[in-house]
Amino acid sequence: MNDIVFLLINGITVACIYGLVAVAVSITWSALGLLNLSYGFIFSFAGYGAWLAERHLWGEPIFVLFMGIAAGVVGGVLVCLLVFIPVHDKPNFTIRGMIGTLAVSLIGGQILLQSFGPKAKLLPEFFGYSKIKILDVTLTADKIGVIISSIIMLTLVVKWMKSSRRGLEIRAMMMNPHAASIVGIGVRKTGIYVMAVTGAMTGLSAALLSQTYYLSPFSGLTPMIKGVSIALLGGLGSVRGAVIAAIILGFNEALTTKFIGGRYVLITQFTLIIIVLIFRPRGIAGILDKAREA
Amino acid sequence: MSKILEIKGLSAGYGSLRVIHDLDLIIETGERVGIVGLNGHGKTTLFYAIAGLTHWQRGSIIIDGKQIGRTRSQGPGRYTHLVVKEGLAIMPQGDEIFHGLTVEEHLDSGAFTPESWKNRKQKREEILEIFEPLKKLIHTPVGRLSGGERRMVSIGRGMMSEAKVYMADEPTLGLAPKIGKGLLEALLKIDLKNSAMIIAEQNVALLEGKVDRIIGMHAGKLKGEASSSLSMGLKN
Amino acid sequence: MTKKKNTWKNPLAIWGAKGGNYEVPTPPYKDPHDIWKKTNSYKVPIKKIGRFHYEYKSSNHGNKIWNRLRWWPTRRTILWTKGVYNRKSLKAEKIRKDKRPIFWFFGLLFLAIAPFILPEGNKTALLTAGGIFGIYASINLCWTLIIGTAGIFSLATYAIVGISAFFTCWLSINLGLPWWTLPLIGMFIGLGFGIIIALPALRLDGFYYGLLTLGLNELCRVFITTSKAFGSASGGLFGADTFINQDWTPMTQTYASYYSAFLLLIAALFLFRFVDGKRIGRILKLAPEKKESFAEASGVDYKRARVTVFLISSVALGFIGGFYAAYYRGVAFNLFDFHTVVMGLAMITIGGIGRSEGAVVGTLIIVILDRVLIELGPMRYIIIGVLMMFTILFLRNGLFGIRKQFKEWRNKKKNEVRSTRVERGGEMLPEQSTEMDNKDEVYRKRYDKMQREFLKTLICNEIIEEHKNKPLGQHSEALERVLYYFRRAAMNDKYVVKCEEPFKKYKIMALSGVRGRSPRLVEDKVYPSVTDAYHGLFLRRVQDLMEA
Repeated sequence: MNDIVFLLINGITVACIYGLVAVAVSITWSALGLLNLSYGFIFSFAGYGAWLAERHLWGEPIFVLFMGIAAGVVGGVLVCLLVFIPVHDKPNFTIRGMIGTLAVSLIGGQILLQSFGPKAKLLPEFFGYSKIKILDVTLTADKIGVIISSIIMLTLVVKWMKSSRRGLEIRAMMMNPHAASIVGIGVRKTGIYVMAVTGAMTGLSAALLSQTYYLSPFSGLTPMIKGVSIALLGGLGSVRGAVIAAIILGFNEALTTKFIGGRYVLITQFTLIIIVLIFRPRGIAGILDKAREA
Repeated sequence: MSKILEIKGLSAGYGSLRVIHDLDLIIETGERVGIVGLNGHGKTTLFYAIAGLTHWQRGSIIIDGKQIGRTRSQGPGRYTHLVVKEGLAIMPQGDEIFHGLTVEEHLDSGAFTPESWKNRKQKREEILEIFEPLKKLIHTPVGRLSGGERRMVSIGRGMMSEAKVYMADEPTLGLAPKIGKGLLEALLKIDLKNSAMIIAEQNVALLEGKVDRIIGMHAGKLKGEASSSLSMGLKN
Repeated sequence: MTKKKNTWKNPLAIWGAKGGNYEVPTPPYKDPHDIWKKTNSYKVPIKKIGRFHYEYKSSNHGNKIWNRLRWWPTRRTILWTKGVYNRKSLKAEKIRKDKRPIFWFFGLLFLAIAPFILPEGNKTALLTAGGIFGIYASINLCWTLIIGTAGIFSLATYAIVGISAFFTCWLSINLGLPWWTLPLIGMFIGLGFGIIIALPALRLDGFYYGLLTLGLNELCRVFITTSKAFGSASGGLFGADTFINQDWTPMTQTYASYYSAFLLLIAALFLFRFVDGKRIGRILKLAPEKKESFAEASGVDYKRARVTVFLISSVALGFIGGFYAAYYRGVAFNLFDFHTVVMGLAMITIGGIGRSEGAVVGTLIIVILDRVLIELGPMRYIIIGVLMMFTILFLRNGLFGIRKQFKEWRNKKKNEVRSTRVERGGEMLPEQSTEMDNKDEVYRKRYDKMQREFLKTLICNEIIEEHKNKPLGQHSEALERVLYYFRRAAMNDKYVVKCEEPFKKYKIMALSGVRGRSPRLVEDKVYPSVTDAYHGLFLRRVQDLMEA
């Protein structure tokens, strides 16, 4: 019993980190029509930003965490300026945009490799080492911190999307880009906002993951692919779907590791995804009406 | 009275098709102008050209002393949001709405200036006074509304901001005559203190007597009083 | 001097002519040709955007037009040629409608004789790179079939190759299968794997499927790299049977591997030609993206064709996988890397997605950058990335789309310039004039418009004063021009003077222009004398002229 709860909490922790990336992928796709595959690069970029801040500015964990988020914002805006703004109104935008983000991640990864070397870096523990015992389940501060901070981030983003003028603009652009420009919503400006927000989410997940695992120029790849799978399962464009999918896949990961073996995590995961997608091609939440035709 | 919108030598079109031919138009503050013409004679394109949504355009468009016309040949809609921010409220033809937003959010999306965003609640109340039927539907997604209600939302969205020029593109198109008349009445209720309104319409009878002047549009040119008598006097 | 010019003297005055003014002030002379020249000249700067495109034409003879070389048992000509007559000289000429076979021939000829003409110094390195190029170009051709022809955005191509290579290699090591069975077994593995991943392709839209296959690629990588059987310890699986005999001299081995890869490339090109260019490819060309429903409604079973192409490509990829294992005597994990997928995408994007020449040339560029210019170090990946960025920012469909893109751009510019050149010349818009049957009327209106523009410049107080003094008789040149124009006007709405009471009451009327319909009264104003009425009528016409 204890074991299973422990695994579930592990699953939730993992789901939180990857869920952030998944929501980022999802929002970018539905608001901008851009399939951003450079989140791996943004992830590493944010991680190195946090690492640099810790080395050269101030070692305070919370400051480092915020610097990670800030670096994520910078990375997101960079991708937006390099890929989205020049290509967004040209023919074949979707495929060109996707390949452009891949090119950015290729160049960026190489530059990171050149500047920091292939050696893995480690970020400090942000939430200390204390432990809490609830109903004979030991929770480390680290896990609670991960869960709480990502929930805060997600809530802030959802709240911002729901209530602010910018959020309204983003949601309007998701639905009808042409009408959006008539109402005075600038596609390029909104693109920068979207990429900044999603970059911040990626930055947070980078900082959170790099404290437990490690940080290397290409360490963002796995979180990105996991995030993409979650977004796929949840249905691209749906924040709610992505959250549910993150939890399902987190549990799947925990349960598979427990009962079948760590090697088969991806196999069960993709079997699950393929089965869901065969029955509901637009994922769990799916988008009810037709997705944006780019 | 001052000129709020001054168009000189405007040509616009799509690709090799030229829809607007060297058009001149002057509109004074406080005026309500009807543009009447058949399908395909360039009413919508005129609005799109003012908003910068055509494929190419040439000529000068001045809104309240600010030049917004530009000579460009690519990227329709690239500058539309900037043009709109100069004080343009466009109530587009047809179904240019955001299906998933609620009526309330949809109206809010029209308030693009910081002040109007601050006053959006009060504005919303005012608009709901005009469009009674929307009061009950305030939290319904726009995608579920009927055609007339959608048009009301679309017009209400245009009314949310303190624009300098309101442009309504065929507000009554495809609606039952009674509803169309009601919508037109609502448009006429907008207070034009520092602004002007252009209404494009196919049906002359609907506009007659309700607007300050009616301009005909034929094959990309304006026929009739392209500038009000006052500015004619100034010219001579 | 100028003052003298601005007065007009009645030339008839010396003979004592009655009527008309003897000497009146008049506006300076204006040349009526000016407006003609102005209207007929282009005011818009003409930008040099032509549409001429150069094409080489060889000479021909009328007798030889149907006499062509053909591929032996078929009726297929060697090159698609067309006999035309030169429009100017009426000479018979021959043009090649499709020059691509010529480029293919010389390109492949170069690859075939490359081992003999490459510099001796780094021949081995170049030939090794050439072998890699052959294999990757074959993979990319199959991938082009999937993405371009079938329109399925799959990123799992390298995964199919990798799975097939690993399994065949494992079979070869453990069961001791000879090298020639590996590609054949690989075909079956490719087919099986293809069927599994084709299932979701039936349900998912383009980019959803792309993301899914990206995940599948990762799944294969993790599964293979963590599995002991596939050599998780040694970074790959090595020791498969090979067709390259170890007893040969190193140079012979290099030659053998180079030519085997070259043959694989030729085979892949044939496959591409026979899938993309034949019935199944044409079916898919009938159902382009976003028009599938229309194609389906017209009876095109595009889904079946798509899956067929996908499975054919999967079989071919499996074959390449087996070949790969036999070629390198094993296979390394990096075939599953995300990096490999990115490189593959770089190859097909730079060349242009959906075209065989794009896949091959793109592969050539990337292989040269990646394998030949090794001394550049990691810099070469940045160069590849920048090339990719350049391609997607400026080119619609890679290198081989440049020609079409340039033509489209030139057409667009031409149309825009042309449409702005239509001026307000005549009274009619171009659209209206096409509706008019009598084209003389178009030109008459155009002329009339010019004339009125000119006459408007003549109207001034001087001639009005002159007319007021003497409405009849000889007038100055300017006034005479204006009056001639008025007199020549059409009968409908032409003003006339009505005498209500001789020498006392005159009024102005307008003719109806229709026989039997009486003229209408224009205004109630009463003129006391006929001269006043003449002048009133003149003013009215001037007003109409100025306002029109």
